[in-house]
Amino acid sequence: MEIHARGYDSTLSLRELLSGIPPDRLSAALTVLLGGPARIVSADGAWVMGDAPPLAENARRLPLVHDLETAGYLETAAADEARVRAAANLLELFMRSGARYFMASEMHIEVVKADYEELQRRHAALAESEARYRALAENLEERVREQVNTIASAHRQLYQAEKLASVGQLAAGVAHEINNPIGFIRSNLGTAQSYVEKFRSVAGQVKSGGNAALLGAWQAADLDFVLEDFPSLLQESVDGADRVARIVSDLKGFSNVDQAEEEVVDLNDCIRSACNVAAHQINSRADLKLALGELPPLRCKAGHLSQVFLNLLLNAAQAMKERGEIRIRSGVEDGQIVIRFSDSGCGIPPEILPRIFDPFFTTRDVGSGTGLGLTVSRDIVVSHGGHIEVESKAGAGTTFTIYLPLDKA
Amino acid sequence: MADIDEAKRSLTIKLVYYGPAMSGKTTNLMRLHDLLSPDLKGEIMTLETQNDRTLFFDLLPLGFRTPSGWLVKFKLYTVPGQVVHDATRKAVLSRADGVVFVADSQRSQGINNSESFQNLEDNARRVGLDFGTLPIVVQFNKRDLPNVLSEEEIHGRWSAAPWPLVMASALTGTGVRETFVKLLEAVYPLLDRNFSLSEKHGTDAKAFIDAAVGEQLGNPR
Repeated sequence: MEIHARGYDSTLSLRELLSGIPPDRLSAALTVLLGGPARIVSADGAWVMGDAPPLAENARRLPLVHDLETAGYLETAAADEARVRAAANLLELFMRSGARYFMASEMHIEVVKADYEELQRRHAALAESEARYRALAENLEERVREQVNTIASAHRQLYQAEKLASVGQLAAGVAHEINNPIGFIRSNLGTAQSYVEKFRSVAGQVKSGGNAALLGAWQAADLDFVLEDFPSLLQESVDGADRVARIVSDLKGFSNVDQAEEEVVDLNDCIRSACNVAAHQINSRADLKLALGELPPLRCKAGHLSQVFLNLLLNAAQAMKERGEIRIRSGVEDGQIVIRFSDSGCGIPPEILPRIFDPFFTTRDVGSGTGLGLTVSRDIVVSHGGHIEVESKAGAGTTFTIYLPLDKA
Repeated sequence: MADIDEAKRSLTIKLVYYGPAMSGKTTNLMRLHDLLSPDLKGEIMTLETQNDRTLFFDLLPLGFRTPSGWLVKFKLYTVPGQVVHDATRKAVLSRADGVVFVADSQRSQGINNSESFQNLEDNARRVGLDFGTLPIVVQFNKRDLPNVLSEEEIHGRWSAAPWPLVMASALTGTGVRETFVKLLEAVYPLLDRNFSLSEKHGTDAKAFIDAAVGEQLGNPR
């Protein structure tokens, strides 16, 4: 609602000054007081109170003054001078009272309006300040979220670094301890093989020498079979020792992760060594099929990427409900290195697919998984400027794809 | 700026007595009513008071006729001095042609005076008056009380201000008319420029002031 104030100091007409008074009652009272008819006319004659008819020509006319000016006239046929003056006086008092009322109400309206505008202005200022603080608060939340993410990421990396460092220390220790005995075991096995050859070379003479007792003992101990079987036993042992030596060497590769130095490697080598380390867990569950294309040498943290490959391999192996197949394909597509780990395992239900990279999210029993493997894997790939994607069909298997940018050589 | 009504041949000039609460603005008006004798003098209209404090404003109309037959009306207003009535003060101040700032000379009132003067400046700006050209007279009232600032102190403090200073005691009437005359002297040049008072209406500065205070016919001031 808008009230238009005319202004408390505007000039008032006679009609406005007497607007609060009923004309018929005032006329009646004047007529009685003056002892004759009377009427009130504005200064310019345009307004007549109560539309009273004109009086006779000889009527008296007294000015009604308001605010230093004649606002109108009291016209009356009454003859009593004192009474007429008193009536004019009375009317001026009425007019004054009317003016007071008018000015007070106009001033009141102006003040109320000014107060209202002031309130609205303050309201607007408050609303603005509230909006500013709200924006700040929202910003703050966003910044806190960012900070939390940063801390969580740092925490994961710290956790991973700690884990890798301790695993690395253990592996380095074990590798060192095994390396020496496996060395002399391998060496001794070689010597043993040559010794067996020497036994075999004298076997003919023993059997053809005609010594019946000796021949009997030979046959009783079935030494022909022993000489037959011994070299292959030793050969299997040699193969076994060689395998141990290779695993130890791969373990040493993993134990380097705490050094986290960048080196130039062929990622296919990293994939093969991860396969070797995981071989025991994979072989019992799945057939491993490698289709490794030629990759350009890449400057990277090889130990970290090996960890990623191992994580994906172990996950794939654990996804097998029955014996299945794990395929690893590598190659260069659209100017980046692409490595795919596909398994024919149980797949990932779509409802948890968006969460698998979340830290501490795990579907395994408490104690058997940290819920960090994929999180750390993604962190490592991202820290190499790449990204990791997942595709899964429940019951049909899962494919993780790692994309890594080529060196900008 | 003053209201001009060609039809009624009248010029209405609005003068406002501004100042802190209880500095004697209403008393100034009452004394002026007693002291002045222009052609036309109305009654003081006191709009609303509470315990003798002005709530809205007081109004004293004065007037005279120029040789050209025009009616020159002065409407002297007071503002309510109390801080809470700022909206009323602002409304009264709007369209003012001149301002008397009534300061309280008592030593204890220094802060009230300066806050009120600042308020005058703020409100003048808000109602669109140019504070730099608005005619202002500063009256230091209550000179009759003990413990007031000395005239030297006052002149020292206000030496940089461009406005005339008048010492007054409104209660006894001292300085009240002088204040009014100083304000008329400051207002006249602006009115003359806008309404050609001297040229068209035969009213020069002296005639204007004499007529306003009622001292034609060579009466001594």
